[in-house]
Amino acid sequence: MGKLVAYRLLFTLPQLLIVSLLVFSLTFLVPGSPAAAILGPSATPEAIAQIEAQLGLDQPFFTQLGEWFAGVLHGDLGTSIRLGLPVTDLLSERVGATLSLVLGGMVVSLILGVSAGVYTGTRPGTLADRIVTGGTVVGLAIPEFWMGLILVSVFAIQLGWVPIVAWTPITDDPLLWLRGLILPSLALGITGGAMIARQTRAAMVKAMASPYVDTLTAAGVKRRTIVLRYGIKNALVPVLASAGVTFAILIGVSFVIESVFSVPGVGGLMLTSVIGQDFPVVQGVVLVTAIIVVAVNLLLDVCYGLINPQARPQ
Amino acid sequence: MSTSVTAVTVGDPAATSAPGKQASGARQALHRLRQQPSTVFALVIIAIVLVCAVFAPLIAPYAPDATDVTASMSGPTSEHLLGADTLGRDLLSQLIYGARTALIVAVGSVVVAMLIGIPMGLILGYKGGWYDRLGSRVMDMADALPGLMVGFVVIAILGRGMTTLIIAIGLVFCMNFARIARAITLGERQKLYVDSATVVGLSTSQIIFRQILPNLAGPMAVQGAVFLGSAIKLEAALSFLGLGLSDDQPSWGGMLRFAAENQADHGWLVIAPGLAIVFTVLAFNLLGDGLNDALTGRRPTTLKRSLLGKKVVMADAAVGSRTEVASRTEASERPADAAASGTAQPAPASALLDLRDLTVVADSPDGGVTTLVHGANLHVAKGEILGILGESGSGKSMIAKSALGMLPAGVRLAGGQVVLDGVDLAAGSQKDHHAVLGGKLGVVFQNPQANLSPVHTVGRQMTEVLHAHHQMSRAAAKARAAELLDLVGVDDATRRLTQYPWQFSGGMAQRVAIGLALAGEPEVLIADEATSALDVTTQAQVLDLLMDLREQMGMSIIAITHDLGVAAEICDRVAVVYQGEVVETAPVTDIFDHPSHEYTARLLASHPAAGDRSDHSLEV
Repeated sequence: MGKLVAYRLLFTLPQLLIVSLLVFSLTFLVPGSPAAAILGPSATPEAIAQIEAQLGLDQPFFTQLGEWFAGVLHGDLGTSIRLGLPVTDLLSERVGATLSLVLGGMVVSLILGVSAGVYTGTRPGTLADRIVTGGTVVGLAIPEFWMGLILVSVFAIQLGWVPIVAWTPITDDPLLWLRGLILPSLALGITGGAMIARQTRAAMVKAMASPYVDTLTAAGVKRRTIVLRYGIKNALVPVLASAGVTFAILIGVSFVIESVFSVPGVGGLMLTSVIGQDFPVVQGVVLVTAIIVVAVNLLLDVCYGLINPQARPQ
Repeated sequence: MSTSVTAVTVGDPAATSAPGKQASGARQALHRLRQQPSTVFALVIIAIVLVCAVFAPLIAPYAPDATDVTASMSGPTSEHLLGADTLGRDLLSQLIYGARTALIVAVGSVVVAMLIGIPMGLILGYKGGWYDRLGSRVMDMADALPGLMVGFVVIAILGRGMTTLIIAIGLVFCMNFARIARAITLGERQKLYVDSATVVGLSTSQIIFRQILPNLAGPMAVQGAVFLGSAIKLEAALSFLGLGLSDDQPSWGGMLRFAAENQADHGWLVIAPGLAIVFTVLAFNLLGDGLNDALTGRRPTTLKRSLLGKKVVMADAAVGSRTEVASRTEASERPADAAASGTAQPAPASALLDLRDLTVVADSPDGGVTTLVHGANLHVAKGEILGILGESGSGKSMIAKSALGMLPAGVRLAGGQVVLDGVDLAAGSQKDHHAVLGGKLGVVFQNPQANLSPVHTVGRQMTEVLHAHHQMSRAAAKARAAELLDLVGVDDATRRLTQYPWQFSGGMAQRVAIGLALAGEPEVLIADEATSALDVTTQAQVLDLLMDLREQMGMSIIAITHDLGVAAEICDRVAVVYQGEVVETAPVTDIFDHPSHEYTARLLASHPAAGDRSDHSLEV
């Protein structure tokens, strides 16, 4: 297993290198000067020069590149132009909330998706299958933020079961944290759950039609045992293989969801920075998100190796 | 880039036809599309949205920016069916104009995504080599970035606006198009017609654009439909966040933004624009699913396909020529003297498993019934080895599967009895039938490696079966599993229990499968083409093992085979199955020396060496 982790890490490093290079080059893609874009059309040349100096844009390209990488390695992602604060500090304040949301969304997605997929995949073509699978098709069409608005409307405004702004950091109170996570996680879990349900159903149908299911049935193993121990484990192989993509999608969606539930996550910071063209923050958010996704993929690959022995390096 | 889209599996590239067949294929697909209710539903919704988008000024009761202060936040009234916003702008009109925004952005971004993605995929797939390796790495890497993040970055760089939105969403999706285009191109360029085009002297670009591109049309249409839906969702999310169009341009996402701001007092505002998005996205997703099914010919139930798959190759033994014959439905095709020896013999009292008058039929979706096995009578006594000999598709495996109560979906037992130890299993429920499996009735199937779960160790699967039949501790089960492996001739049993099936050779895996079947100590073992996938030497060893087991355990064995050599080698009696009927049952020497049925005689005549009992390699 250690071999697998080492092997995967080896592939991860160049990936991170290229991602950070791409992120670095973002400012060069801005038509004209980023400083002019930040300050707007009425900016004086002096002000532009000042911002350019602040961003280091007046330095030669390779100096900029070197400083960027040196900074990244030291955890220094520059300073926000709008807020005047270190990007690293801004991010570390908010990344916990975002991760909480994505984690909650992932848990809901997996529970909904795997159970729906296993349920339908073991009875393909039946009425129950058609109804649940039809539900997943509708689930894919529902915008998560709209689902969030409906949930707030019903459970917070109409029924009053949770406060409209329910977010509590886990460090303040783990129980209130959990309560604040319920509705956003449900909203996030709609799309993720529908995606996982479709994958699981297809994988389950395939697994249950496999010859080994016949072998075990013929050897006298109960269908329930076959489904729970053999069907699901085999079906999870392809589902786990694409869980990294599902996770990346959920991070993106969480940026929208947090604005519905007033969660102080990275999304809000990104939103104001995009509108204000605060490039150091935008770059920081993209880089940190990519690192998180890559790290989660690494973790998932290890899980994949655990569940699928053929994926382990021999 | 990661994008939240329907997981549409594009049918295998082989299903797409070469350019010449395109026209008739498209017509067939259209015909199939019309028969899908969900697609018709989807097209109706898309038509409504399209009409709203194109004729918005004619349909909308007000201009989208016309204010009516008296109606401010009015809620639904007869003048404003969906109510009005703070400035008194009619929300129904905004909804109708919003369809226009949604469609322009969606179509525009899918076009951008295709323009970038398809050429990229074509080049990577066609050139291969380093281009492909590098390109594929980039595509993988793009997966690390959430689609929305890409949208954010593009908007940060270019600022808000319609063009930005189209470029941003197009960039989010282009990798998906590239990936599929690459996969299909890779598949197409291996095919013969590309080779022949090269020989004829067509240039690379001619091959790519005239020969390969037409094959991409179907899958790209499927993806296009699905991504139109995803683009609408993405546009709504960006507009909801205030990153889409400017606030005075009507969009569904923008309406939801307004609704969210006024949610506490005017909860109803969220309903209409949300439903508009859900129905439009749903319609595009359903259209994509429908197109995919129509192009790959799926959907008309899996049953029909499995029956089509039953079109089997049957060798005419006498002439030696091979002809395709569908599973027979007409009585006129029956062998003339079918009833002569196969069906009439009553089973002796000593029969352990007695199959009486088994009739197996397959129901086709159009209501027709195809008979696969006609009133078969077979029995096996304790310690006897019965061979069931027949060609592929003769129905011999269906006989075995009905004995096990494991007929595939769409195939059923229309009549007859499966009597084991005096109890008719066919009369009871499937659950009761399955209760005898493993303990009284065991089976070994053909493909040894596929017969074991690839993600569980051999030991895990063997102890699973042991626990299903005996109350025993884990340690005892492990020890017993090792004993069984030892019994079936797998060396170093304790170590091999910790290995996975794919770490075994074919012959060894088949020994494991036999060990697994023995775990419940069955009285009758059915070997369904158990040695067919093995090479000749391994086959002989496995056959020896089966005979040893009969000696040691007094087990009855039913060996189902298409191999005259196998039948000759191990069987006491042989039943010959031809076109779903048992045409002859007799002791093995009688069958080989004095075949009483014409078909058996032809079968033997086509293989002069069949009488030689040492030759295993003969096949029907």
